[in-house]
This record gives sequence, structure tokens and C-alpha cells, in this order.
Amino acid sequence: MTLLGLLLIPLAAAGLIALTRRRALTELLHILAALATLATGAAIIAQVWNGAVLTAAGDLFRVDALSALMVAIVTFLGAIASLYAVGYIRAELDDAHLSRVRLFFMLFHLFIFTMLVAVTTDNLGVMWIAVEGTTLATVFLVNLRHTRTSLEAAYKYLILSSVGIALAFIGTALVYYAGAAKAGEIAVNWSALRAAAGALNPEVVRLAFVFIVIGYGTKAGLAPMHTWLPDAHSEAPAPISALMSGVLLNVGLYAMMRFKAVTDAAVGEEFAARILIGMGLLSLLVAAIFLVRQRNYKRMLAYSSVEHIGIICLGLGFGGYWGVFGALLHVVNHALAKSLLFILSGNILLKYHSAEIHEVRGLLHAAPWTGALFLAGMFALIGLPPFAPFISEFIIFRAGLEIYPWAAATGVILLVIVFGGMLASVNQMLYGEPPVELPRVDALRFWLVPLGANFALLLVLGLTLPSPFIAALEQVLKILGV
Amino acid sequence: MSAEVLSKAVNLLSFVALGLTILLIVRTRLEGQVRVFALQSLVLALLAEMIALYSGSLELLAVGVALVVVKGVMIPRVLNRAVAIIGLERVAAPYLATAPALIICGILTIIAFYVMTPIAASNPLPTADAIPLAFAGVLVGFFIMVNRRRAVTQILGFLMLENGIFLLALLATYGVPFIVEMGVFLDVLVAVLIMEVFVYRIKDNFDSIDVGAMGKLKE
Repeated sequence: MTLLGLLLIPLAAAGLIALTRRRALTELLHILAALATLATGAAIIAQVWNGAVLTAAGDLFRVDALSALMVAIVTFLGAIASLYAVGYIRAELDDAHLSRVRLFFMLFHLFIFTMLVAVTTDNLGVMWIAVEGTTLATVFLVNLRHTRTSLEAAYKYLILSSVGIALAFIGTALVYYAGAAKAGEIAVNWSALRAAAGALNPEVVRLAFVFIVIGYGTKAGLAPMHTWLPDAHSEAPAPISALMSGVLLNVGLYAMMRFKAVTDAAVGEEFAARILIGMGLLSLLVAAIFLVRQRNYKRMLAYSSVEHIGIICLGLGFGGYWGVFGALLHVVNHALAKSLLFILSGNILLKYHSAEIHEVRGLLHAAPWTGALFLAGMFALIGLPPFAPFISEFIIFRAGLEIYPWAAATGVILLVIVFGGMLASVNQMLYGEPPVELPRVDALRFWLVPLGANFALLLVLGLTLPSPFIAALEQVLKILGV
Repeated sequence: MSAEVLSKAVNLLSFVALGLTILLIVRTRLEGQVRVFALQSLVLALLAEMIALYSGSLELLAVGVALVVVKGVMIPRVLNRAVAIIGLERVAAPYLATAPALIICGILTIIAFYVMTPIAASNPLPTADAIPLAFAGVLVGFFIMVNRRRAVTQILGFLMLENGIFLLALLATYGVPFIVEMGVFLDVLVAVLIMEVFVYRIKDNFDSIDVGAMGKLKE
């Protein structure tokens, strides 16, 4: 019941918001829906982490610990971004653009809905439909500002993601064929496939996994299929950038993890590991190239997402208890840090009216709260202690040095380059003389309060790993067959 | 219908479907290209109905009907409307001329056979022989998307690619489950409607539907 509620709340909210006429009512519905989604998500997570596996609508929906981890990320960061979105959209679109305001909040909840379906369904075909749905729900959000650059970004995003995801469908159909041929009449259900994985035709599974990595890797922003990502993530309004970078990329990763578990059981771990390590390193390389002397701070954050998705893939590829544990932990840490920073980038944009790094000067002076939080978030993102990403990166590369020393060492070198490039960019933004006409005040100061939650979690996870959280991640490891 | 007859008919129709994808490259007028796509969708629907009769699957029968409605009628209408509204720019403007493009199609078909023949050989279904042809259609559709500058032709390339994937799933497994197939149709329909809106927006903003006119976003 709660599971169906989790899916119906954002769907109903999107429908109701489309009917509203007054802005206050639109915003009220939006906030209520986001908080209700969060509460329902929390109820589900509590049940699953106590050992239950929830199902609904026959065998269509099934929430295990891995799904619950994703539900936690989607609903929590969805709520944080939704609170900020109210203030941000007030600043961006006045009452003359009410229809676009409505469109924004409606698509916001459709976006949440499609992500929740993708991570809670057991049916791999429905998961595919929902992941394609995330693209369709967000494409107008990327183009919300009706500028030429956002139009170009949205079109590129729509075409490349649709093609990528179409290739993932070939992979899904091949896995379905491999399963149907061996296990008799089965649906395209992950749990059934996972159980029958040992008997699947290895040749078909290998080919399927290649299509899956290309397809869902496009959604996850893995190089070389990442080319839409910096455009779309930098052109979208800040709360949507936060969700696309912090959450949606993880949905692509989630799909890959599900298929990897089946592939590992069918053909052994080395096959998927090599692919993921190769693409992870390539993603790090691409990010390093574009992060040195990057001129636009939103694009800088977007390329950093390519980098972090690469790190997570390295962790998954290194494998073993620590590699995968680190990867899962890094999924959470990157989601927290990146959504924090993208929301702050919206605040910087409102203050300076430019996304160019060289036009942002003296941020710490001109907008002290935004500046201080941005600096702290940046420290977290580039992996400085005491913040949590430091721990997860350390775990991943330590695991890698034991099994794949060359790959891990290359990764560390690229990480250092990224570190230097991003630090130099942030340095330019924070200090120096702000343009004289700027008053010394933060934009949307009170709307930043919810970000305290991201910040607190980044610190808590960095200083101590609470044992219930470790237990939850260990449940996920078991599902992934580690 | 015996397995042997079905196998021959499926081979023939899959070959026709691939031929129509390649025909899209030769056709330069957008209306003609839309007709080619509609015709290919009807060929696929015929194939689906034949396999449905052979395997006695009511679900697949319904999928075939939905295919005619969505890809044979609705989507071609949407595209024709877009072509009519855009007006002047009806020539498809490829990057590569027809002759080299056809050579690339040949190479892609060979690659498709190389990749998919082992998969087809391990598949016991009488339809499996045509799997490489379906995959060739996917690759050629992808190539059309890359090679054409016009947004409308890119959409057609995407649809041909989708058709290729539908055919691939149909031949390998007699189609994925009904609910999945319907969801996919819905996704494709919504995607085409959104793409149509973008064609208009690109036309308004850049005074052209040449996607090469866009290129501001770099680094």
C-alpha cells in the first residue's frame, strides 16, 4: 500500500498542479506533495532496512535494499530541491509567466514519479520505460528559460538520451531472450533473471551487457556518451540541475548495477569489471581535461559529475566487498554534495546574472552565506576531509590498488588534476573585488536553510559511519552478489 | 503455417524493412521520407501479425494493431503536420552524399551480421535467421541520425532505429511482454510529440531547422 502511495503521490500532484490557477495554490500543492513523498519514502525505507521486501501490483513493483537506497536519495534530495525551487522560480519567473510556473512544478513531480517507478519496479522493461520517461519529463525543464543555448542543450539532450536508451532496450530484449530460452516462460523480472542467471547463455548475456552499458551509461553520463550532460545540466534551472546531477545520474547507474548483478552471475565478474574500469577511467580523463581552466561554473559542476560517476564505476569495477561498498557510499556522498552545490550555483546566478567564472568575483564578500557554503561544498566535492566523499574515494582507490594497481594509480593521478583545476576556479570566484554595484546580501537567504541537512549529512558520514547505515549498505552488497 | 514457411516469409519481410530504411537515404524530400517510415511500420505490423498467428499469441496480435495505429497513422500525421508548417526547407541536406552513404550502409550491414550471427545461431525460433537484418536496420537508423542535418530527418532516423529494435525483439523472443511493448509505444509517441515542439522552436529561434546552425555550447 505505502509503495503504491509513494508512486501515486507525485503523479497525483502533477495532475492537480496542472489544474491550479493561482500561484500560491500551485506552490502549496508542490510543497505538500514533496513532503508527503518524503514521508512515504521514509516509511518504506524503514520497513525495508528492517529486512522486509515490499511488493505491489503483483510482481510489478518490488523494493529491496538497493531500491530503498535509491528511494532514499530520490525522495530526500527531491524534497530539498523542491523547497529551494519555490524561491528560485519566484525569482526567475514573475506572475506574467504563470503557465510556465505551472509547467515547471508539474514536470518536477512527473520527473520524481518516473525516477521512483524506475527504481521500484522489478520488471526490467518497465524500468526502461520509466528511464526514458525521465528524459521526456525533464527536456522542457532544461528549455524552461527559452534561450537559444537552452534550446540547443534540450534538443541535444532529448536526441542523445533517446538514442542511448534505445540501445539499452536491445540489451533488455537480449537478456529477456536469454532468460526466456533457459528458464521457460518468465516475465522480464529482475528477481527471476537473477535466480536463473547461472543457466543463461553467456554469449547473449555478454552482448546484452555491452548494450546496457552504452544505453544506461548515456543516462548516467559516462564518457564517451556524456556529451549532452554538461549542456543540459548547466542550462537547466538550478533545482533541476541539482536533481539531474545528484539523483538522475544515479538512476542510470542503478540500472547498470541491476544488470551487472545478473551478468556477474552468468559470465563471471571479470567481463563487466573490465568494461566499467575502462569507462570509469575514460570519464575521469574527460573530466580532467575539461575541468582545467573551465570558464563556466555550472559546466564545471556538470563535468565534475562525469568525474564522480567515473569514480563510482571504478569502485563497481574493482569489486569485492570494499570496492562495491565504496561505490555505494560514493553514490550517496556525491548526490549530497552535488545537489548542494548546484542549488548554490542557482544563488550565485541570481546574484551575478552570469554563469561565467570570470564575472563572479568576491563571492565571499558579496554573498557571505552562499560563498561560505559553496566553499565548504567544494571541499567536500573534491574529496577533502572531514567530508564524506574523502572516505568513499579513499575506500574505492584502496580497494583498487590491491586488485588493479595500474588502473587505480591512473585514477588517482587524474583525480589530482581535477582537484587542482577546480580549486583554481573556485579560488577565482570566492576572492577579489566584487562588482561595486552589488549589495552585500545573499539571494534567497532563507530558502538556503534546508541545505543544512545536506551539509550535516556530509559531515556525519565523513566523521563516523553510523552502524545502521553500514548495515543497510551491507544488505545492498548481498543483493549485488558481493 | 509451417515453421519453414514462416521463416521464409519473415526473412523476406525483414529484408524489405531493411531496404526501406536504406531507401530513406535515397529519398531527399521530407514527405517521401515520412511515407517510407509509415510503410515500414506497416511491414513490421504484418510481420507481427504473422508471428502472432503462428504462435497463437493474442497479445502480439494486439501489439500489431497498436503498431499500425501509433507508427502507421498517428506519428506520420504528426510528422506531416510538422513538414507542412515548416514549409520551405523540404530537402533533407545530408553531410555525406548518397553514394558514400550507401557504401557505409553496406559496411554497417556486414558488421550487423558479424555481431548478431552467433546470437541468431543459438536461437531455436524459426524467426531467428533474420535477427542480423533487424540489427542492420538499427545501425543504419543510427547512421541516418548522424548524417542528416535536418531535425525532421533526425527524428525519422530515430524512428527507424526504434523500428529496428522492435523487429529485433520480435524476432528474438516473439516480442517482449504486452505491458512493456505498450509502454514503449507511449514513450515513442510522447518523444515524437516533444521533438515536434522542438522542431518549431528551433525554426523560430534559428530561422532554420538545420541542426548544424546550433553550436554555441562548447567546452
